[in-house]
Amino acid sequence: MAVASKTDVKSKPQVKEDIWIPTSCGQCYCMCGVKVRRQDGIITELEGNPDAPTGRGHICAKGLASPQLMYDPYRVNYPLKRTNPEKGLHVDPKWERISWEEALETIVKKLKECQERDPRGAYFQATTTQASEIRFGVIGFMKGFGTPNYWVSGGGLHCGNGAHFMNGIMHVSWSIIPDFAHCNYALNFGCSKGHGAGHVAVQNATQVADARARGFKNVVFDPFQSAQASKAHEWVPIRVGTDGALALGLVNSLLNEHGIYDAEYLMYKTNSPYLIRPSDGRYMRDKETNNPLVWDLVDNCPKVHNDPSVTRVEYEDEAHEAALTGKYTVEGVECTPAFELLKEHVKKYTPEYVEKITWVPAATISRIAKEFGEAAEIGSTVTIQTSKGPKKVPRRPVATHFFRGAQGHTNSGWTCLSIDMVNHMVGAADTYGSALGLGGSVGQGYEPTGKPYQIPYPCPDGLLVAKTWVYDHKPYPMRKPGPPTRLDLHDMFPTSIYNAFTITSPRWFEMLERFKIPYKPDVMLNFGSNSVMTMGNSEAVTENFLKKFNFIFSFQLYITEFEEAVADIVLPDACFLERYTPAVSFPSTFSHPQGEDDWGWTIRQPVIKPLYERRDFNEVMLDICERLGIHGKFYKGLNDSIGVRYGGEMSDKYKLVEDGSVKHTWEDITDRLLKDRFGDEHGLEHVRKTGVFTWPKKKEDVYWKWFNPSRVPVYFEYFIDSGEQIDKLWNEYGGKDFFDFDWTRFKALADWYPCPTHTEENPEFDMHTFYWRAVMHCNSMTQQNPWLDECSQEDPNVYAVQMHVATAKEKGIADGDKIWMENPQGHRVRGWVSLSEGIEPHHLAIAAVAGHWGKYMPIAKGKGTFFNDLVEMDLEHTDPLTFNQDICARVKIYKVED
Amino acid sequence: MDPKVNGQLQLEWGWLIAVYLFLGGVGGGAYTIAAINSFLGESLALSTTVGLWIGFPALLIGTLFLMVDLGSPSRAFLAAMKPGTSWIARGTLIISIFMVLSFVHLILHQFTKFGGTADGETIIDIIAVAGIVFAIGTMAYTGILLSASKGIPFWRSGVVPVVFVISATVTGHFAIMLGVALYGDIVATMEPLRTMAVEAAGLVVLEVLAILFFLQAAYRQPDSRESAERILRKTMFVIGYFILGLAAPLILMIIVYRSTANALTMVAIGAVLGLIGGLILRQAVLVCGALPTLNIAGFEFRRIHRPKEPKAGVGMLPPQ
Amino acid sequence: MPRYGMVIDLKRCFGCYACSMACKTVNHTPPGVFWARVLMGEVGTFPNAVRQALPMLCMQCEEPSCLEVCPTGATQKRDDGIVIVDKDKCMGCKYCIMACPYGARYSVDKWESYFPDGLPLSPLEEFQKKAWEEKSGVGVATKCDFCIDRLAEGKLPSCVEACPAKARIFGDLDDPDSEVSVLIKKERGQVLNPEFGNKPKVYYLFPR
Repeated sequence: MAVASKTDVKSKPQVKEDIWIPTSCGQCYCMCGVKVRRQDGIITELEGNPDAPTGRGHICAKGLASPQLMYDPYRVNYPLKRTNPEKGLHVDPKWERISWEEALETIVKKLKECQERDPRGAYFQATTTQASEIRFGVIGFMKGFGTPNYWVSGGGLHCGNGAHFMNGIMHVSWSIIPDFAHCNYALNFGCSKGHGAGHVAVQNATQVADARARGFKNVVFDPFQSAQASKAHEWVPIRVGTDGALALGLVNSLLNEHGIYDAEYLMYKTNSPYLIRPSDGRYMRDKETNNPLVWDLVDNCPKVHNDPSVTRVEYEDEAHEAALTGKYTVEGVECTPAFELLKEHVKKYTPEYVEKITWVPAATISRIAKEFGEAAEIGSTVTIQTSKGPKKVPRRPVATHFFRGAQGHTNSGWTCLSIDMVNHMVGAADTYGSALGLGGSVGQGYEPTGKPYQIPYPCPDGLLVAKTWVYDHKPYPMRKPGPPTRLDLHDMFPTSIYNAFTITSPRWFEMLERFKIPYKPDVMLNFGSNSVMTMGNSEAVTENFLKKFNFIFSFQLYITEFEEAVADIVLPDACFLERYTPAVSFPSTFSHPQGEDDWGWTIRQPVIKPLYERRDFNEVMLDICERLGIHGKFYKGLNDSIGVRYGGEMSDKYKLVEDGSVKHTWEDITDRLLKDRFGDEHGLEHVRKTGVFTWPKKKEDVYWKWFNPSRVPVYFEYFIDSGEQIDKLWNEYGGKDFFDFDWTRFKALADWYPCPTHTEENPEFDMHTFYWRAVMHCNSMTQQNPWLDECSQEDPNVYAVQMHVATAKEKGIADGDKIWMENPQGHRVRGWVSLSEGIEPHHLAIAAVAGHWGKYMPIAKGKGTFFNDLVEMDLEHTDPLTFNQDICARVKIYKVED
Repeated sequence: MDPKVNGQLQLEWGWLIAVYLFLGGVGGGAYTIAAINSFLGESLALSTTVGLWIGFPALLIGTLFLMVDLGSPSRAFLAAMKPGTSWIARGTLIISIFMVLSFVHLILHQFTKFGGTADGETIIDIIAVAGIVFAIGTMAYTGILLSASKGIPFWRSGVVPVVFVISATVTGHFAIMLGVALYGDIVATMEPLRTMAVEAAGLVVLEVLAILFFLQAAYRQPDSRESAERILRKTMFVIGYFILGLAAPLILMIIVYRSTANALTMVAIGAVLGLIGGLILRQAVLVCGALPTLNIAGFEFRRIHRPKEPKAGVGMLPPQ
Repeated sequence: MPRYGMVIDLKRCFGCYACSMACKTVNHTPPGVFWARVLMGEVGTFPNAVRQALPMLCMQCEEPSCLEVCPTGATQKRDDGIVIVDKDKCMGCKYCIMACPYGARYSVDKWESYFPDGLPLSPLEEFQKKAWEEKSGVGVATKCDFCIDRLAEGKLPSCVEACPAKARIFGDLDDPDSEVSVLIKKERGQVLNPEFGNKPKVYYLFPR
């Protein structure tokens, strides 16, 4: 780069200090590595951090806009207390500024009272935006205080109840994504990964742009011209909520129409060859070992699944073929391989049947299945350089992927599995070019220390078990449903991460009684969440759930609608630029870059001391725990949690002191965690210079499928047991009186189930609405940021309701008209119309989460449409398998009269 | 929030520039007529005086409006640095020279006996001829300024200077008529006014033809069609300019011409309407100026502009 | 002396506005001013409709119409081809704004806060106001200058550096081996609306 002449650089502002500090962005849960510029003590700019694999120097609009977050005059800068005892939406809390001492004294008093009544009455609600902080302050408190009650508000709605669970089972990851570096043909089921959203949005955007530039083909199923649809080589409009049916149609078309599948993969890397007995759909098991059996086609006899003669761990291993089709008699019982059952089962999803559901033409379905199957190049291999020398692995340059768009429906669980099933049929999973777990979920760790160690392993049945996971309980093996102890009855439901239907039910307390929960919701601790707007219908959430707490205190940046409605005390949290966080890009299951780039452990360090009386959430939580005398247990909780989440137990040298004799600062905890993972010389002093510790990723950790002895299910045998157990337990308590769930969805083979959107019979409700993720606002709460607001106004659709030109004409609606959208339950939201040809004519697309009304967020106020008010949280709108909420709604529309 | 505001429109030049262009036109037009009349005999002496009294002051006030519109008026002295390429620079020179000439002419005409001598007469005549040249230059400049703006296709038509010159003549003419009607001797002025009314009517007809030609030409061009549509949807333009600013004065002038009675009030009303019409024309042409649509690869790209939210009473600060 | 230019690859761009935002923070542009702007377009009818984002900035024209109309000489073209405004020479007549068919120029009379209610400026806003007034100025024409201050420090323009899709490539158009020259040649880079005749130095690669 040539240097411009000096004379043209004139009148540069005279500043004394001008430094760049590396840290991690916190504007959303992608948490990219950034460098922050401080000039004369003021944060003025952000840039991507080229040293961090998250983004490699690039950064999105949200991150770039964060200096405004630091200095927004509407930030909460002092502790506040509510003086109006009345709570509810649109109630003036009559805030009064108080001292930190008064705030903490009140909080500690309330928590002590709660501790005496029953510590489980304490309920932690937290935002996913600050995902890395959650793993410390929240977990430490819960373990220390002794409460199991926690949720990320809106888990099951914006978050991936279905996706995380299913991807955990199939890929030991939070999400899946094509190996953009080598994938040639991908099917995108309405998801913005690589196009602004997702868990590592910036890195993915770079990858997918590189892929497009080299001719990668992307077919996008989406009801409207989303960013991804606009960049696709083929946009296939689809009816909202029917992605699962389409996926099963593709599976059927592959298996039964085109006869394309990867027998090798299915034989050795899935439970396809497991013999199923017809009587109850269970595995036929070996009498001696109790292991599932497969049929050895060479020896012509049954073998246990892990018998070396029928097992191939690495691709170049040799083994006998196991039967995928046919019928085999074992101990007098005629059994069928699981694959054969699947193949038969999907036959009903003919292209014509699927067309009726999805509105995708039958010929298109058939063609895309063929293109996908051919692009998979089944049988092709590639040699990769592993740490143990060159190894041959299958090359499958195809992938399907999805996230909240496909997942957010009452058919969530099976939809997620069905979409991923397309990958597994052609062996395109966690190998070169295929669908990969998003985030590096598999790794042997930094060589000198062997941490973070996260190699998954097979269970006795041979199925994949995660070594590290974001939560205490792993997606597999599933917990056995047990008598509930949590306020959301979570213990009974092995497949869900969260649920909203219990806690927002008008009969919540009645349920608690019936399910013999001996305590009530008592004190709510809120960290950064605005659950009035992020869970579903705001009135139901406020009245049925939030108002049931005796006392609520909230760490927050702004006074959101949540604080206005129900908070008793608001604590001024520091933002991400003002705090330490020991681990950001880890747990790698969550938001970690995908592909062959290095491993990178990013940290967060303060760029500036907290302004005014803001204090860091984690620091205050430690303070509270110390006042409660439980900080020793807090540290123990962290020690325990680090083992599960961060790839290995803490060594004695760096373990946090558990007897309460030492008060660790977050700086100290960061230092200890780094030294424990990466050696004495790589503590905070070393890492703070670059903000990230990197080490090379081994190729066999990226393409781990053919290096790991585990299999994944295509036949979900264990769901049957689980369903029967839940059904029994549910009925024992009389759960049916509250919610008559269809527990038969716990079964072994995938199906598509309609949402209320698809079965609505009243012709008045003729439009399908759904929400999409606008790149300036996704995965976060950024509507109050004036720069992002201004950019949103530049876009024709971010604050609008997108409607097809012909639909509008038919209804007498013009561009810019204000309309009401009302669902069959009588809830309505308003917005203004933006006309477009780029949307399926029966759909209305709304960017969420907008439509704030809180007067303490004036930039956000009144912009866009509050879609979530249309989200119902009842039996009909909940997936019985994962309790994912339904995020599509049928509405009638009419003009706003004003 | 009004979602429908069009960001293609230029928002920088509004009323202030419209007044500047208008007064430049009026000044130039009035002076031109005054100077020509000064060659045509005693009966028109009053209109010469009035015209000279309008010419220079109109330019002066117009320039003040321009100064107010300037972002950095303190640097206005740089305005003529690049006459080689810039029409503003050229215009500044033209207007400056014209202002000097019209000022000198006014002073000599009004406050000295210079005109009484033969030599003096000749000098004044020379000044008048030069003044006419620069007055016409000024009138033309107000249109060329716009027609040389590459960013606004609507203005970028050779017809704009023609329309502006005609309109400047019309408004200059009306300004003189108004002055004569207000200050002249009632008996002595009615006759010349009738003549001027005929001239005005003729000029207005000419303007109508020019503006219609301009609008249809703009409408035919895809890049300027939006502006043409917008201007025709403006009530201010259609009623304020076409009906009240052109049609009404035309009718009034014909009535004045045909009536035998004293019609000073009607002259004044017609002139005022015509003047206001001239101002509206310029304002409407300015604010309807839109950027061209950008195209690439078959896509059309347009800018969106949404006005800022109301500024006060929107939010509430947390207690400090 | 290089002749700076940019290539914007519409295949890569998906309309994330990072360029707009990067420019805002680096150049401290006040409300309503977008030196780096993103426009959205749509073509075709359902189901064959397609949308496309168009990142815009000053085209740094070879024959800049803004330069031609500037009466004071404030607008200048540097030897490296970057068109700049000398704020100390600009009188704020805004004629250049009317002359630019790409709408790349802006003028503000004062640096205004983004926040309502007439609050005092935040420390960030104070900083930005000062920086803007010192570098770009109020009451004068302003525009993208390819981040000349950053170029002087050996950095890329902020929009290029931020772009998550790497859709913007910056370099020397006179160097036949530079990435920009190679891309323009290989992928037939086009300028926007060549009929304007300004000969822009920002080239676009077609979206498909």
